[in-house]
Amino acid sequence: MAPFALLAAAACHHARLSDLATLAQVIGEFLSLSLFSLGGGNTLLAEYHHLSVNVFCWLTDSQFADLYALAEAAPGPSSMIVGLLGLGAGWPDGPALALLSGYGAELAILLPSTLVMVLACLRWRQMEHSPWRIAFERGLGPITLGILFSVGLKIVRTADVTRAGALSVPGVIVSVVVCVLMLRTRISPLWFMAIAGGLGALGIINR
Amino acid sequence: MTEADPPTMTPVPPAAPPSHRHLFLGMLQVALSAFGGGLSAWSQRIVVEQKRWMTNEQFLTGLTVARLFPGPNQINMAVYIGAEFRGLSGALVALAGMLLVPFTLLMGLGLLYFSVHELPAIDRVLAGVVAAAAGMALSMGFKILDQYWKDPMALLLALVVFLALSFTHLRLIPVVLISAPLAMAWYWPRHPQ
Repeated sequence: MAPFALLAAAACHHARLSDLATLAQVIGEFLSLSLFSLGGGNTLLAEYHHLSVNVFCWLTDSQFADLYALAEAAPGPSSMIVGLLGLGAGWPDGPALALLSGYGAELAILLPSTLVMVLACLRWRQMEHSPWRIAFERGLGPITLGILFSVGLKIVRTADVTRAGALSVPGVIVSVVVCVLMLRTRISPLWFMAIAGGLGALGIINR
Repeated sequence: MTEADPPTMTPVPPAAPPSHRHLFLGMLQVALSAFGGGLSAWSQRIVVEQKRWMTNEQFLTGLTVARLFPGPNQINMAVYIGAEFRGLSGALVALAGMLLVPFTLLMGLGLLYFSVHELPAIDRVLAGVVAAAAGMALSMGFKILDQYWKDPMALLLALVVFLALSFTHLRLIPVVLISAPLAMAWYWPRHPQ
């Protein structure tokens, strides 16, 4: 895994949004992903990682993990992480363009799903008892389940690694403990992040 | 849209449909109240109990639609509320009310992050924080696993999708485009009402 990651990193260049062809490609990617945000949007996290780290090379693995944590900790829907990715994409061009690209990215990811949602509201009474609606709801559930497990694994493999690309054992232990606590208790996840941040400051978890 | 509804059993009559301005301000109020979490509970409290724009049944229907269609659930719920009263423009206004403040705050935090994340002290703290955040991501699948436990076909579908996304180079869109029609065919209602 490690040599492959290094090789990919060497070949990767930050795709600048000032290049109009790149900009059009980026907007197209986000617009089309929007319609595939099943089960509340977190299903797209692995795709966001793929685009921003592997395809467009705006972020490193650790930066992506940082931004995910930031979006989870901040108030509001955590799907706003897309704005942070846009910010990272525009950062080399200065804060003003970074902000513009952040707002633009969020707009692109929300626009198609919003339009579909408006149509759904207007046509819901015809749709409610249609066999298509029932099959869609029942069939997409298990697919969402599979995607969420794969997203969880991807985020763990992105967050709990050292700079050299090796798995961080203390990091994985903390992730598994937090996962169990999330399922078994109603403690606010902000506490877990604060305590884990303390463990990081003490050097118990590092990367 | 509501005049076609059968009479509902709610004790309080609904208020007049909100204007664009009221939609924006109402969703802004939801967003500000929900600082610290519980967005959908606040949304219900403000839209149903306080402003009486919708009955509880209407609100729950909205949640069903919001969960079914693509997009983040709470954001879709804002779209539903806006569209219900003022169509597309209402949806956009409600969306703006819901997102403007939290998103602008997040962009501020993001700018701060990109300015300071290379400081060693910050990086050490973040190394810990991301481990906890990864645990949250890991819990998402387990949270909904229970409801599929007695359905072997659902578990098989989930397993195949998981394996395809985690251990092959296939991306999400092709995997969904192939698996969704198969899953829909399997779950097609056999006894139409």
